[in-house]
Amino acid sequence: MFTSNPFADLTVFLPPQAMQVYIVLMIFAVVIGTVADMIHKKSGQYFIQRQKKSKADATRVLSGADKASLAVKTIVVEVATAGEFCNPQRRISHMLMFYGFLFYLGTTVVMIFGYPTHATPIPSIIPLLWNIGILMLMIGGYWFFFLLRVNVVRDGQPVFRLVLADLFIVTLLGSVTFAFIWAIVQSTGNLTATKISFGLYILFTTLLFGTVRWSKLAHMFFKPVVAFQRRVEEASGASSLPAPATRNERS
Amino acid sequence: MPTFVYMTSCDGCGECVDICPSDIMHIDPTHRRAYNIEPNFCWECYSCVKACPQNAIDVRGYSDFAPLGHSVRVLRDEEKATISWKIKFRDGREKNFVSPIRTTPWGSIKSASDYEVPSPEALNSQELAHEPDGLNINKLPALTPGQLKLGVV
Repeated sequence: MFTSNPFADLTVFLPPQAMQVYIVLMIFAVVIGTVADMIHKKSGQYFIQRQKKSKADATRVLSGADKASLAVKTIVVEVATAGEFCNPQRRISHMLMFYGFLFYLGTTVVMIFGYPTHATPIPSIIPLLWNIGILMLMIGGYWFFFLLRVNVVRDGQPVFRLVLADLFIVTLLGSVTFAFIWAIVQSTGNLTATKISFGLYILFTTLLFGTVRWSKLAHMFFKPVVAFQRRVEEASGASSLPAPATRNERS
Repeated sequence: MPTFVYMTSCDGCGECVDICPSDIMHIDPTHRRAYNIEPNFCWECYSCVKACPQNAIDVRGYSDFAPLGHSVRVLRDEEKATISWKIKFRDGREKNFVSPIRTTPWGSIKSASDYEVPSPEALNSQELAHEPDGLNINKLPALTPGQLKLGVV
């Protein structure tokens, strides 16, 4: 089950082109949602203003090599290892979701476009990675949803009182949970149950990618840019923070 | 000057929510980031400013008497046990201060759960926790009924 392509089995009731068109529509939805979010929050404007202020306050000019080194540090620390989180549990949960999402998304696209039917045999590693991605997302996601959400843990809100900030995590968990259920149900051969679970999977996936304007999905594009900018500010002397203390009061 | 949060720096850890004595630091339901829900109730204790691990909290004056442009930034260094302040005035002057983060050794303060459960007599007493020992006196000064004005007792 974990090594078979679930999308190839869909051809029983759905032409392979349908899922390919669906993926393209979702890509458009993410692009439109991200642009609409940028216009609404004026994040582009804010970023340009911050860059100008940072240039004006800079005490030293950074070379291209300096900036490249800062970009590498941003990718390694902030992007690849979620270094911005001070809470180690949130960091682990975020990394599980981040890498799980990459596996899940990447293998979905590969399976739908590269191996749409059983006529093209699929290497078993691809569906396996799809399932691993789903499991990583479910572990990290449910851990975050029940035990790490700050409004629940620190602000004392009930777990099931959902707010707009939960849109992303709820739709993401809905998408991967029903994807997992659908793949299991489909392997049993029950067509009605397959159609229902697949319908729920598509519903949550459409909500996930169709609500980018209101959810926080677009943070994956903004966050690395802001983290890089912060590093540039620190390195060029434009940071508004005080310089670190030279004296150790502990000793 | 009440506090405010830089949303792009906040990672939503909730440290400020826990530490705020006025209970005005809360989590925004749209972005899940901290924010000051009632700046005019801020005690200006700056506990949240100092506690924020991301240095995401800053202070500003009310816009009716202090046009924006100044800033107070804080950098806490737990390893060196220092807290650094950078005060920027509206006319461009800048002052920097560094002070010890606390006066007692790090980790020396007992939390409430480390103390023994008080007896029922202690709970019914007029004295607060650790009184009078914590004040380094034998007995709290108190008025006797004879010292009170007529009609009070």
